[in-house]
Amino acid sequence: MSIPQKLSLKPVGLAVPAFAILLAVFGIPMIRLFLTSLDAPAFSLANYEAFFRQGANVRVLFQTIEVSLVVTAICVIIGYPTAYLMASAPKNLRTALIVLVVIPYLTSLLVRTYAWIVILGDRGMVNNVLLELGLISSPLPLIYNRMAVYVGMVQIMLPLMILPLVTVMVSIDRSLVAAARSMGAQPSAAFWRVFFPLSLPGVRSGSLLVFVLCLGFYITPAALGGLRDAMLSTFIAAQVETSFNMARTATSAFILLGIAAVMLAIFGLDLAGTQGRAVRPMPESSWKPVRLLSAIKRFSNELAASYRAKRWNAKLYQASNIRRRTIARAVFVVSVMLFLLLPSVVVVIMSFSAGEFLTFPPPGISLKWYRSFFDDPSWTGAALTSVEIGVAVTILSTIVGTLAAYGLNRTSPKLRSILTLLLLAPITLPSIVVGISAYLGLLSFGLIGTKTGIALTHSLGAIAYVVVIVSATLASFDRRLEQAAMSMRAGPLQTFKRVTLPLIRPGIMGGALFAFLHSFDEVVKTSLVSGLSIRTLPLKMWENIRHEIDPTIAAVASLLVLLPVLWLAAIYVTWWRSRPSAEHALPDAAA
Amino acid sequence: MHIVEFQEPVQIEFRNITKLYGAVAAVNDLSLAVRRGEFLTILGPSGSGKTTTLMLLAGFVAPSKGDILIGGKSVAAVPSYRRDQGIVFQSYALFPHLTVRRNLEFPLEMRGMKPAERIKRVERILERVHLNDFGDRMPSQLSGGQQQRVALARALIADPPILLLDEPLGALDRSLREQMQVELKVLHKEFAITTVCVTHDQDEALTLSDRIVVMRDGRIEQIDAPEMLYDRPATRFVAKFLGEANILENPGFEIESDMVQPSGTVAMLRPERICVAPPASPKRADSHQRQSVIGTVADMIYAGPLRKYHVRVGSTPFVVREHVAAGQPVFRAGDEVRLEWLRSDVRFVSA
Ligand SMILES: Nc1ncnc2c1ncn2[C@@H]1O[C@H](COP(=O)(O)OP(=O)(O)OP(=O)(O)O)[C@@H](O)[C@H]1O
Ligand SMILES: [Mg+2]
Repeated sequence: MSIPQKLSLKPVGLAVPAFAILLAVFGIPMIRLFLTSLDAPAFSLANYEAFFRQGANVRVLFQTIEVSLVVTAICVIIGYPTAYLMASAPKNLRTALIVLVVIPYLTSLLVRTYAWIVILGDRGMVNNVLLELGLISSPLPLIYNRMAVYVGMVQIMLPLMILPLVTVMVSIDRSLVAAARSMGAQPSAAFWRVFFPLSLPGVRSGSLLVFVLCLGFYITPAALGGLRDAMLSTFIAAQVETSFNMARTATSAFILLGIAAVMLAIFGLDLAGTQGRAVRPMPESSWKPVRLLSAIKRFSNELAASYRAKRWNAKLYQASNIRRRTIARAVFVVSVMLFLLLPSVVVVIMSFSAGEFLTFPPPGISLKWYRSFFDDPSWTGAALTSVEIGVAVTILSTIVGTLAAYGLNRTSPKLRSILTLLLLAPITLPSIVVGISAYLGLLSFGLIGTKTGIALTHSLGAIAYVVVIVSATLASFDRRLEQAAMSMRAGPLQTFKRVTLPLIRPGIMGGALFAFLHSFDEVVKTSLVSGLSIRTLPLKMWENIRHEIDPTIAAVASLLVLLPVLWLAAIYVTWWRSRPSAEHALPDAAA
Repeated sequence: MHIVEFQEPVQIEFRNITKLYGAVAAVNDLSLAVRRGEFLTILGPSGSGKTTTLMLLAGFVAPSKGDILIGGKSVAAVPSYRRDQGIVFQSYALFPHLTVRRNLEFPLEMRGMKPAERIKRVERILERVHLNDFGDRMPSQLSGGQQQRVALARALIADPPILLLDEPLGALDRSLREQMQVELKVLHKEFAITTVCVTHDQDEALTLSDRIVVMRDGRIEQIDAPEMLYDRPATRFVAKFLGEANILENPGFEIESDMVQPSGTVAMLRPERICVAPPASPKRADSHQRQSVIGTVADMIYAGPLRKYHVRVGSTPFVVREHVAAGQPVFRAGDEVRLEWLRSDVRFVSA
């Protein structure tokens, strides 16, 4: 009896390395921070009271919530119709559109933020175009205000709204809508009564994701907003920079965390019950207008029934109406895609500028900013450091994360979901909070200002991404294939190497991609743990964006734009290579 | 049906095996012995513990209580990958990233066989299952029947002493299933391999098996040769589960039998053992061996070579099945008929 029991204990053990890193760098310091904020061992709420007594603090807190809410709302308003049109598109077109949404999502956040400076700046794209057209006589104040913050954040968050929505919408059985229409529902009623309620789980998970991530935003509001547009993260960062008062910082951090936790608790905790609840009809009152409307429509429909046969004929010739609607839809989707891709495109064009300043469109074309990048050892050194750290993070977190995902996959569902939630904390919680605890954690190991320390900090988030992606792959993996291998005398290790690993390789590659990109784009946590002695590429870029904006950064940025594209290509090639014989065997089969 | 000699030694033995999932006993105190070369089928309704029994034997599930012996030795401490069994999974579980040939080589490779010998074996088995031209295809490029044959070939290629089949033909359509039943039977004989098969399909069980285990709620309800199981079911559950049965519980008339009805049993008659005749038709020569009752036809269903009558005798419903033959009278709903059967065809099953 003891041997099978030992075997069943084993899988969770594979998650030990992941949890060791999580606890040492994040978990234990988090607990210490929390105790500090409570004045342990005295235990009082004095720090929290002090926080709320200061008007400025409360203003920033509300501002953070307000900005997050507005961004979430805009993302829903733009994202829902986009996702709807994407989900209704033919499969190939849909795949292409999804790739177009994923590419900006994978593009460095710094690059995209920088691009908005190029687009919205006083001598940027929009102002120059308007001046050129003579529509304005002096540049409009498009940047360093709340509006710019919204534009930048929406562009960054929109993919995170669209992707879950598309996933949910694709899985909705369209024949349900057809059925509703066959029962006399007008297209709009069929949509509101059938499709929309079924798509709500997607709206919910998308909104939750966007909102919680917005709460922790730091870079974009700091770069695009005015002085009065600070979010709580910026505020905490400023506190850390000026006077590192542990108790005060810890208190602000836990208030920020508290909001995120409350939102997750209210909307997130019953995610499991989402499906069931979404199907439940909405409360009567909120539906009355719609129901009344559809009742009127249905009534007039009855009246018109006798004419309908004749009208059908006429309808066949009303194609122009339909064509107009198709064009309108296409224009909408294309605009959204342009909005998503614009920053990358602008950055690439900017990088070839011959001008000295940040002027768009560039006055001429040259490679001088690339030269200036490659000739400046502070840039190349930073890039090298980032590559070094990125590679280390990718290797470490891909191995540790894959082991953890594999172990968790073989654990009871309850334990699995708790442990996964813990592993995901570094990417769900505001980076400034994670950064501060990583700082404390590394301090106790004497790793502040070392590459090892930075790599460990990045690994927190990178492991989370690997766990998410590999777990998703494992969830669709047929466990019976492993049993089959075992029945053929393959031991556990052989089975993993010969069967499991080749089949989940695309997931592992995807995880590695996210791990690398995460490390290669990290500013907030890195700036806290680098101890001013190590310059990574993102740190150097961030410094540049804040102080001297010269187009060298555009050259760096446009190189970074290439990165996700190259990775996607690499993944595609491995995926395609994993089934070459499938392609080859087909002609044989035909012969 | 090839009858397994009684002399053959016991190959697999379950001793009081219980498997608990929480408070639910998926398998409950099950004891069972399978002889070498036997084809044993486990049959039962959904959730009765068939798959669990098979997985216990395969070593993918550990028993909560009891012991399993293979070849006389306990395998409690033997992990699945050392048990030396060929398994055909319900969905076949062919490795999707390997060609048919590489799939077939896998078990040989794991046993450390040399490449030259492996290739020879693979060719031989491909020939045996009529898939010579398909060795380089990926599993996804095969039809369901072809995949099934690859799965079978992969389970047999290393000559394991035991073959386990989990609903092996479940995914095939009817005609292919019948064809594969024949194939499976031939292979079983050829490889002389002890086989344990789980199925939903009664026909499959009746055609293939030396013995059938009928399971219910994790326990064995009856274990017997197919003919015995059908002809002499021990319980009402088995009678109803295998084919159709008329259970005559308080039928409103006395049931005549050559036997004394044991207590706690009910009488059972198979529908094909009953004849339908016009009420006034002349008595047969062997009428003293028969019992006859008068009833009313409620319904007639015509099903190809068969006719099925639902007849009510008083308040007792009867199902009667007869082969369509020339000159036979046909009755309609409402007609009065006489049902008759041989007394020796009445069975008593425990209630
Ligand atoms: N992993 C498990 N966890 C919990 N309960 C289980 C598990 N596997 C099986 N059971 C329960 O054990 C009982 C027997 O299941 P089993 O799969 O053996 O039935 P089965 O006879 O194969 O049914 P089917 O014909 O539907 O395949 C069922 O009640 C099932 O719900
Ligand atoms: Mg089963």
